Amino acid sequence: MAIIEAKNLCKTYVVDKRQNNVLKNINLKVSKGEMVAIMGPSGSGKSTLLYSISGMDRPTSGEVIFDSKDLTKLTEAELTDVRLDKMGFIFQQMFMMKNLTILDNIMLPAVESKKSNASRAEKQARAEELMRKLDIIEVADNDINEVSGGQLQRACIARSMMNSPEIIFADEPTGALNRQSSIEVMDELCKLNNEGTTIMMITHDSKVAARCSRVLYIVDGQIEGEYKTPKDLVNEKDRERALNNWLMDLGW
Amino acid sequence: MFLRILKKDLKRKKTMNIILVLFVILATMFVSSGLNNVITVSNGTDYYLDKAGIGDYIVITRGENSIGALDDMLSTEKAVKDYRMENVVFGAQDNLSSSDGKKIVLKNMLLIQEYKDTGITYFGHDNEKLPDLQEGHCYITGSFFKKNDMKTGDKLYLEMENVKLELIIDGNGKDALLGSDFMGNTRILISSEDMNKLTSDEKINKYYLGQVCNIDTDDNEAVNSAVSKCSNVSFSDGRSTVKLGYVMDLIVAFITLILSVCLMIVSFVVLKFTITLSIVEEFREIGVMKAIGISNVKIRSLYLGKYLLLAIAGSAVGLIASFPFGKLLINSVSENMVLGNSYGKWPNIIGAVLVVVTIILFAYISTNKVKKVTPLDAIRSGQTGERYSKKTRLKLKNSKASVPSFMAVNDVLSSPKRYFTIVIAFAFCTLFVLILANTVNTMKSERLIGTFSSKADAYVDKISISIDCMVKDKEEILEYLDDTAADIEAMGYPCKAFMDFQYKYPIIADGKEYSISLSQGRNTTMDMYEITEGSIPQSKYEIAITKTVSDIMDVVIGDTVTIDYGTEKIDCTVVAYFESMNNLGKLIRIHEDAPTDPSYISSALQLQIIFTDNPSDEEIHNRIEKLKDYFKTDKIQTATEYQIECLSVVPTMEAVQYLLLAITLIVVILVTILMERSFVSDEKGDIAIMKAIGFKDRKIILWQVLRFGIVAFAAVILAGILSIPITHLCITPIFGMMGATHINYVIDPLKIFLLFPGIIVLLTVVVTFLTSLCTKSIKASDTASIE
Repeated sequence: MAIIEAKNLCKTYVVDKRQNNVLKNINLKVSKGEMVAIMGPSGSGKSTLLYSISGMDRPTSGEVIFDSKDLTKLTEAELTDVRLDKMGFIFQQMFMMKNLTILDNIMLPAVESKKSNASRAEKQARAEELMRKLDIIEVADNDINEVSGGQLQRACIARSMMNSPEIIFADEPTGALNRQSSIEVMDELCKLNNEGTTIMMITHDSKVAARCSRVLYIVDGQIEGEYKTPKDLVNEKDRERALNNWLMDLGW
Repeated sequence: MFLRILKKDLKRKKTMNIILVLFVILATMFVSSGLNNVITVSNGTDYYLDKAGIGDYIVITRGENSIGALDDMLSTEKAVKDYRMENVVFGAQDNLSSSDGKKIVLKNMLLIQEYKDTGITYFGHDNEKLPDLQEGHCYITGSFFKKNDMKTGDKLYLEMENVKLELIIDGNGKDALLGSDFMGNTRILISSEDMNKLTSDEKINKYYLGQVCNIDTDDNEAVNSAVSKCSNVSFSDGRSTVKLGYVMDLIVAFITLILSVCLMIVSFVVLKFTITLSIVEEFREIGVMKAIGISNVKIRSLYLGKYLLLAIAGSAVGLIASFPFGKLLINSVSENMVLGNSYGKWPNIIGAVLVVVTIILFAYISTNKVKKVTPLDAIRSGQTGERYSKKTRLKLKNSKASVPSFMAVNDVLSSPKRYFTIVIAFAFCTLFVLILANTVNTMKSERLIGTFSSKADAYVDKISISIDCMVKDKEEILEYLDDTAADIEAMGYPCKAFMDFQYKYPIIADGKEYSISLSQGRNTTMDMYEITEGSIPQSKYEIAITKTVSDIMDVVIGDTVTIDYGTEKIDCTVVAYFESMNNLGKLIRIHEDAPTDPSYISSALQLQIIFTDNPSDEEIHNRIEKLKDYFKTDKIQTATEYQIECLSVVPTMEAVQYLLLAITLIVVILVTILMERSFVSDEKGDIAIMKAIGFKDRKIILWQVLRFGIVAFAAVILAGILSIPITHLCITPIFGMMGATHINYVIDPLKIFLLFPGIIVLLTVVVTFLTSLCTKSIKASDTASIE
């Protein structure tokens, strides 16, 4: 069953009276529980697709069906509610509020949400539980510039999980991390996915993409190819090799 | 290349640059016009008095035999170098009426005199000497036109005893001697033919005549001593007292200067904030410039160039605007005076240059931060990873507040330095409004009445009463006062009537003779008057003096002075200090038993009435209306009205207060827009991320509004608290110049802590709300483009 579906999605920017068609009639379905990677060269429209499909940006035309609703038809306030309660976001640059501690940053969506009747103490307990799970509980009361990049990105994952979203969108979640931190973050995302959360992410790293169930390759605003990771490939290196071969075929 | 970067910067931060220029314009306007006005006004008093021919020592005589009372002294006293004499007829507002039958309002006594060249010079509205007069025409001085809504060409009827004159007003003249708000006398200048008609009346000739004499001397003390021996002296003092009479006019000019300084400080505080913020914001550009080898000096010069450009542009506009603005501010002063200075436009130009230089110096100091930015900042997005102090002050987990409220409070506490700047700017502006509000409130209350007279329920200002009483001896006055009280009691209003008189007797202290007014009450007791130190005089051998007199005569409580009452010389002990704004504090209070004689009366104050059945304020007003019929005069005032009239400057102060409030509000609007725009630009990433994780626009706007609300609230509370001691500190010396230093200010908590602060906080909130609407244009997808 598709959790999110894009139909004839187009996005056009006008720069100096020149039209720049960034997304060209994208059709895409993501099923519940999937972990989809979006790859492609720089400027191909990966981020635009992720932001358009997640309701953070409005497409020029087309539909995005999520939870039986067309996100393109929703008002800004309705979209905000959807993002708060049903979606989670992780960014490459690990954006967090400068004046809040790590724990407060993680709690923030839950405090704002009216999805559950949980008290603030219960919300704190959930945030701490997530932090414990992600092994960052020791930095709970730290400021955001007092922790490492890997810890910060794991904090972003915890924040995206706070309201138990149906889907998490991640824009190069490991892009700014070293290899070790990258592996740790991907481990956490895979764990989440195994627990049933749908994940859609942009990545340039085939190692990261190889851990996803499906890879979309975008070139010039169109889906150039789609790769489904064979289920029989259990070994990580084999998965990566297979994906790399496929990517090379597409001119990666 | 630098020019291109500069051009781009000016374009990119258009709103902030425009607001900065506005601040520079305002600062220049105030500094330039303030500088010119203060030079004009402070030198202007001497300039005006010299031009008008005011002497070094002025004597006014009045009453029976007053003509010629000074002749002997003037011809024998060696210290008198020259003098100008004017014969005058003393009248009052009751003697005047307009052609439409409207009552004429005057503050003090009226002086009617012939307009000729032998006296001082009177100036017209164009600051030129008034032209000669024809019979049936007159000039009027002081604020007569404004008070009575009259103009040149209107008819005025003067009726005294058996003489009735119909006069066409040829213009409003400026009178340097008596025209100040504090002196507050009106003169009617008439032709010699009309003057002859007036003085041909026997009663006028006997009781209403007097002389105004301007004496040129190098030895005021000698003249003072000589004048003390003359009879009929109603006023005698040096030129400095006349000059001091313009103190209230100077206040407006000084408030302008203080305001200029305040605005300049606010401008610089805002400037510092903006420069610092823009440098922090541009760490990447600065880092890259440094990485490719551009020196600190060149990078700093880029910023200095920008601020020099803004400062020159703003100052040029401000300089041009300072001329009409300065004129507008000084209008209230120049209405009364002939003003000018020999420096022309230079004070304005110097003011403008001063603003530019200060801004550049300030920008230079602020750009010191450039040195601290390293190329690494460009690479690591400004985060070096090192910080040794915690920034976050509050924890959401411990808070029960909503997210916007929590974030607003947390932001303020996390960056106290940043918000302290705004608190100081707002508090500084608010403080001036509150100080003036405290002053105006005090002036409009009854708190200062004790410095003019004892407190009464009604003050009857009728010249005929004064003139009649000035020739009565003690018993006759007491009888008149008792009769008056009995008549009023017969109307159903039990009361006590009393009057204060001022006398001029020679006073000797430590061998020196002084001419200082003595104040004595009739039908009063000494405990009706306020003293600030010592004990109430119990007999004619005891007196109370003001601190001003104490300084002049160099006597203190316990010392003895001799008063020569003519019939007997009495050694009096100084037993108390009191405060008086009458005669600018040059006053001695003597006991009721002191052997005074009516021929030494220099002036009679209002007939005062105290109702002995303690009526309510409303009832007092009703009774005053009834008493107007009894006394056949409209000028019966309550204590508050009497005090306001004595202070005369209250309406001007009120106008200045509202002008200050308006300017404060403009500053608040500009600072709020500038700061909020800066914050939004600084927090673009935070706002985008909040939107991305599901915060609605209204929550983000609420966060921004609450944050400024907290800051504005803190500022006005700080200003409210500080306003009380600072009012004492700043305003008491001004009252002190007029003779009162023990001022019990009226602090209206409603105004100080609610009304004015409320207006300022409300405006801040509204302006922040409107400015923060720009956050709507920040989208969740902007997270992709955050630097």
